[in-house]
Amino acid sequence: MTAVAAAIRAGVTFEEPGGDGIGRLVIDRPDDPVNALNAALIEDLATAIRAARAWAGLRGLIVASAKADQWVAGADLKLVTQADEAGQLEQASRRLQAVCDELAWLPFTTVAAINGAALGGGLELALACDYRVAGDTPKISLGQPEVNLGLVPAGGGTQRLPRLIGLQRGMELILSGRRLSARRARRAGVLDEVVHPTVLDQAARAWVGKGKRPLDRPLSMGLTVAAAVDLAEQTPLGRQLMYRAARQAVLKRTGGRYPAPLRALEAIEAGFEHGLARGLEAEARAFGELGVSETAKNLIWLFLATQRQNRLVSAASAAARVERLGVVGAGFMGAAIAEVGAVAGLGVRVRDVTPEAVAKGLSRIRAMVDAGVRRRRFEPREGQALLQRVSGATDYSGFRTADLVIEAVFEELAVKQNVIAELEGVVAAETVIASNTSALPISAVAANALHPERVVGMHFFSPAERMPLLEIIRPAAAAEWAVAKAIDVGSRMGKTVIVVGDAPGFYTSRVLGVMLNEAAVLLSEGVSIDAIDAAMTAFGFPVGPFVLYDEVGLAVALHAGETVTRAFGDRLPAATIVPRLVEAGHTGRQAGAGFYLWPKSESSVSRQLRRLLPRPKRVANPAIAQLLATQQSAVTPSTTEIQDRLALLFVNEATRCLEEDVVRSPTDGDLGAVLGLGFPPFLGGPFHYADSLGLAALEHRLRALASTHGRRYEPAALLVDRAREGRTFFEE
Amino acid sequence: MASTTPRAAIIAGLRTPFLRAGSDFAQLDVLELARSVTVELLQRTALDPRQVDHVIYGNVVRPVQYTNLARELVLAAGLPRQTPADTVTLACASAIQAITDATNLIERGYADVVIAGGVEMLSNVPLSLSPPLARALVGASQAKSLSGRLNSLRGLALADLPPVAPGISETSTGLSMGQSAELMAKVNGISRADQDAWALASHRKAAAAWADGRLAEEVAPVYVLNNGGRAVTRDNHVRPDTSLDKLAKLRPAFDRQYGTVTAGNASPLTDGAASLLLMSVDKATSLGFAPQAVVKSYAYAAVDPVGQLLLGPAWAIPKALDRAGLQLGDIDLVEMHEAFAAQVLSTLQKLESQTFAETELGRSSAVGRLDPEKMNLRGGSIALGHPFGATGARCVMTLANEMERQSASLGLVSVCAAGGIGAAVVLERL
Repeated sequence: MTAVAAAIRAGVTFEEPGGDGIGRLVIDRPDDPVNALNAALIEDLATAIRAARAWAGLRGLIVASAKADQWVAGADLKLVTQADEAGQLEQASRRLQAVCDELAWLPFTTVAAINGAALGGGLELALACDYRVAGDTPKISLGQPEVNLGLVPAGGGTQRLPRLIGLQRGMELILSGRRLSARRARRAGVLDEVVHPTVLDQAARAWVGKGKRPLDRPLSMGLTVAAAVDLAEQTPLGRQLMYRAARQAVLKRTGGRYPAPLRALEAIEAGFEHGLARGLEAEARAFGELGVSETAKNLIWLFLATQRQNRLVSAASAAARVERLGVVGAGFMGAAIAEVGAVAGLGVRVRDVTPEAVAKGLSRIRAMVDAGVRRRRFEPREGQALLQRVSGATDYSGFRTADLVIEAVFEELAVKQNVIAELEGVVAAETVIASNTSALPISAVAANALHPERVVGMHFFSPAERMPLLEIIRPAAAAEWAVAKAIDVGSRMGKTVIVVGDAPGFYTSRVLGVMLNEAAVLLSEGVSIDAIDAAMTAFGFPVGPFVLYDEVGLAVALHAGETVTRAFGDRLPAATIVPRLVEAGHTGRQAGAGFYLWPKSESSVSRQLRRLLPRPKRVANPAIAQLLATQQSAVTPSTTEIQDRLALLFVNEATRCLEEDVVRSPTDGDLGAVLGLGFPPFLGGPFHYADSLGLAALEHRLRALASTHGRRYEPAALLVDRAREGRTFFEE
Repeated sequence: MASTTPRAAIIAGLRTPFLRAGSDFAQLDVLELARSVTVELLQRTALDPRQVDHVIYGNVVRPVQYTNLARELVLAAGLPRQTPADTVTLACASAIQAITDATNLIERGYADVVIAGGVEMLSNVPLSLSPPLARALVGASQAKSLSGRLNSLRGLALADLPPVAPGISETSTGLSMGQSAELMAKVNGISRADQDAWALASHRKAAAAWADGRLAEEVAPVYVLNNGGRAVTRDNHVRPDTSLDKLAKLRPAFDRQYGTVTAGNASPLTDGAASLLLMSVDKATSLGFAPQAVVKSYAYAAVDPVGQLLLGPAWAIPKALDRAGLQLGDIDLVEMHEAFAAQVLSTLQKLESQTFAETELGRSSAVGRLDPEKMNLRGGSIALGHPFGATGARCVMTLANEMERQSASLGLVSVCAAGGIGAAVVLERL
């Protein structure tokens, strides 16, 4: 019944004007809570715009949403995922552009009254109005985030946004995909006014009185930076310099593996140099071509999968409400966990052994919060409020009332077991005890626990205040309610949660450990550090394996690696270079040397000044050659060869984890690898990557590698089965 | 009727380290100091913050930015936002006022759980503008035109420009606290040697209480978070190594020639905060808390500031004892605020004095003698410091702790305050 009703009701209504001659165009897509733009809604818009145009004596039109706290959150991504040819998508883009044009060319004043997210197509709709006003609420979010999904704006955003707020700022927003809060959007010039939500309609009506305005904004005058930038934008040379700088910044950030920002830049340039029509044409073409690319499909899948995961996870944990969090250990990890806990609104009690350690930990938390305020993640007031939710102690006072305690003490089994024992003497019966470990089996950590059913693992990734993934480890003995509480905390911390089995190294540390180990094996075969790291960054990892070793710290990596190699040593050759480096004191970046020598930055130079100076370059640690019998660069395999040796081993190990039920699904496996380990997002994760290679081809390649390099390359049984059945990991 | 009146019990207390003004707390905000100790009290008692019905906080040198510091404390300490709160001020007895107000609320049955305490931050005293300058600036900000603005600034003299520090002298006499103490020493014949001996004992008792852990149990560390973070865990005015010789070498501070009051036998300007948790006895029982002591009676009295400014307790103590139906001899332990050794010794002298009893109190016999051995067992304000707004709470807390430790049944707190006011509280262990 409702489905039928939904089918007849139009998604956009034209409301006739009252006495003031101002009509309203109300968007209310019947089958979608966020007014996502699909073909039907676009046509409904067109119809409503025509109705407004036909209304005699209309003085103005307000474009509004009927949803509470929701405007138009963007295009319906099904539009893209269900398309299989570029021409189809290009057409869709041309249609959205045309409808936005119709709105822009209405003969009376139009005002967007924005009460929620106006992203992508939503912002483009607003940009087609003469003015934009928004409610002063945290629900407001404006931006053109298409590049994050491997796409470009499709409704004229590449043209209208830079014309409204200036080429420089417009490019910055479109190429970064950044979203703005209401106040920042007002400062950037995207919004004309920000008002209390209750007077949004009233304010919009007031703006109608200002009359129509041209698309290009008036230039800033006077001796200001803004005026200088405006002036530069008026000259072809000034614009050329801006395009070039923007292109270089994009290439530096993406390594050239993400085409979308470059295509957006082309469209902007086409429009500014050859006119709006050419710009729109370039935009639509780019949208079509990008939309059918593997990159966009993978990025969109990741986006939707993350959303789905977070929704599922928060639904699953709805019953397990945690209010108070205890954190044992105020080191880097403990402090970061406490900070994200406080940001999530939890009361946090941190415990460390000495008052000095507590002070240092609390001070770290404050530094993180201060940084958040500087980066405008929070208002200063919010920052202060969340700091006030954190307190510290040298004893377990305050832990009795904690709903969940996370221990983040030294990664050593006996130490952790001891903390568990101490906690069991303090906390309430229903308190969950979570161990933050990257590899120690939780069953071992909880071996002496009186109540192992409430001990789970929470593997945070460093730096925990920024990394989006949380791996929750469910040991066999853990109770459902304990896992649910851990999930509740994780999802409220804003993490994407995957729940994994309690096998050595769990999921992420295991696949990463196997890959890092193989990098060290390659090194011992005589391949150079630089060649290996370069091959893997070219593959799309944010850093190469040896930079990662050094960043993580070799002692930690060794510890995690040993857990993995001990468990799977029958097929994994243990690389000896890591323990030898640790022994020699080359433990990584913190120590100044690991696989690389890390030049110490001059502490006497201020941070601002240092940014202007060329950064001293790291060089491969010469000690490696001595520690290894082999000559550096004795062997020079091709980049593809190196990538296959490491990435395919990674994929194969991920498949084994799926086979052994360590990860529950290919989705969890892909999310974990991308969000936790930096597996290239444009490849969609190891399981998507396997699918795109073709499972039979992958099996074949692995067998070839196994014959030359050993059994660790033997394809996982699950892979062989699926290849034989002609199936993929992700099936429609 | 009396049997159904709820009784107000001290459940627990905690204070920050007391630091000389301008030392390690100088970077902190007054609210942060109060918040830190209150959060710690809640954490250590594991009390559900939703149980707190009311917060009352004492403070003397009022920060300009907080018109109701206690309410800010509620909002900053994670207490429910629905908790009402008020800030009280009664000079050095401000926290006593907070505690007796809490007692009233509980005894009337209007509240079951109250946090009462006080804070003082003398490192950052708010300086204000001279009245002519303040009037001129307000006038200028309200003026509609530029000429109007300039007009309101006319007539300002150079002398109007320097900021004004909060008053430290009695407006009715023009005498500072120190001068008043000096006057009391002279009038009552309190010798320099006796004052120094009292100060020495104060330091020794404080040092001993730190050494054996009795002070550590009532002091919560404060974490100062700028510059990498530091933990402040101890009072910094207590001098375990002081001696009569050292004290004797100090020059009189208020009367260079004939004076006896020195920096050594007076309490210093201090930063600090203290919070107490009070409950009705029934509520405590139902929540599983054991009362340390209940408030048996209290009294305030005031003297003419023109006389002996700090002698108020000599009137307040007998008044409170009368209300409790007790004699001074019934009291096991005493916490007497030490603004100055001269003030303490003058008070003791008056309590013992038959003449004082007859002429000033209208009593037939002296109030009684207080044994210094039963007094200020963890050191007094001379050694520990004296954050005006917090001292009363510190005294009540320490008395309750010592009563509990010694299973003493009756205790007395007295605090003298500016304006000639004296406060006394009698505690009883159930």
